[in-house]
Amino acid sequence: MDSQTNLKKLERNLFRETIRDGSLDMQIGFILLIFVIAPLLSSSLGDFWSSAIFLPIWIAFFMGLRAFKKAYIQPRIGQIEFSPHRKKRLKNINLAILVFNLVALGLGLLAFFNFQEFKGWLPLSILFLIGFSLAGYLVESPRLYLYGVLTALAPLAGEYLYQYQGFSHHGIPFTFGILAGGYFLTGLILMINVFRRYPLPSNEDLEW
Amino acid sequence: MVNSKDDMKNSPLTDLDQIIHAPARLRILMMLYVVESLDYVFLKNQTNMSWGNLATHLNKLEDAGYITVKKGYQGKKPQSKIQLTPQGRNAFRDYKNTLQQILDDLPD
Repeated sequence: MDSQTNLKKLERNLFRETIRDGSLDMQIGFILLIFVIAPLLSSSLGDFWSSAIFLPIWIAFFMGLRAFKKAYIQPRIGQIEFSPHRKKRLKNINLAILVFNLVALGLGLLAFFNFQEFKGWLPLSILFLIGFSLAGYLVESPRLYLYGVLTALAPLAGEYLYQYQGFSHHGIPFTFGILAGGYFLTGLILMINVFRRYPLPSNEDLEW
Repeated sequence: MVNSKDDMKNSPLTDLDQIIHAPARLRILMMLYVVESLDYVFLKNQTNMSWGNLATHLNKLEDAGYITVKKGYQGKKPQSKIQLTPQGRNAFRDYKNTLQQILDDLPD
């Protein structure tokens, strides 16, 4: 391995260090909650509002998480500013996540209200697989590939539970509930780990 | 007979920048080489050095003009942003090339 490759590996490791705080997993878990709650609310709030109600909740959660990270995580792990190349890549990730969320939401609602069979869920499953794999590649986190496979299987497993086990709402709230809870819990464990690994430095330590 | 001092003089290792050659400072510079900037806490976590040890090495690098340290505050906490200077970047690149050359010149 030449020195250039080693330096690239080092930069990648530093980047990975910044996304090991669990907030990404918690965000994914929270986003998937829409598939758990929206179907349950659709009979009382209607198709549109049962999903639209999530927008302010998402915004509040993301802002809260951001503030929490700034106050409690960042002082522990420190700050890093990446090269313009990495920053451009991160910008693309944010854009990709936004597009992915909107398409997934559209496809999910379309599938939920219009299809009664397995193949109706396939576009959504494929989108989950592609979306998570792309995110895994861009942020260089192998964990996201696994998330992609699990999330892609969730609508199909839900449909199976609906057709053969009598679960309500195509089994979607159940399968996505397990996934959302699992991702959120993974994030929480990673975050607790940050608190354990990195104690808060005192002002005395920081003044030199 | 050649004494050990002459041996050292003729050694290709003397071509290496001794400020960079110390393992702790080399580690710091390697990290700074691949990013725009880091803060003191991040550097401490990644190098596993003590606060005092890290400060000593950073002072040496700052005195050599290889890094700049911008001290400020994040809320009520002191924050030091550390960045490689163009001089430091060139010195590190030279060090890398020199070391590579020395290693390449070694017989198999």
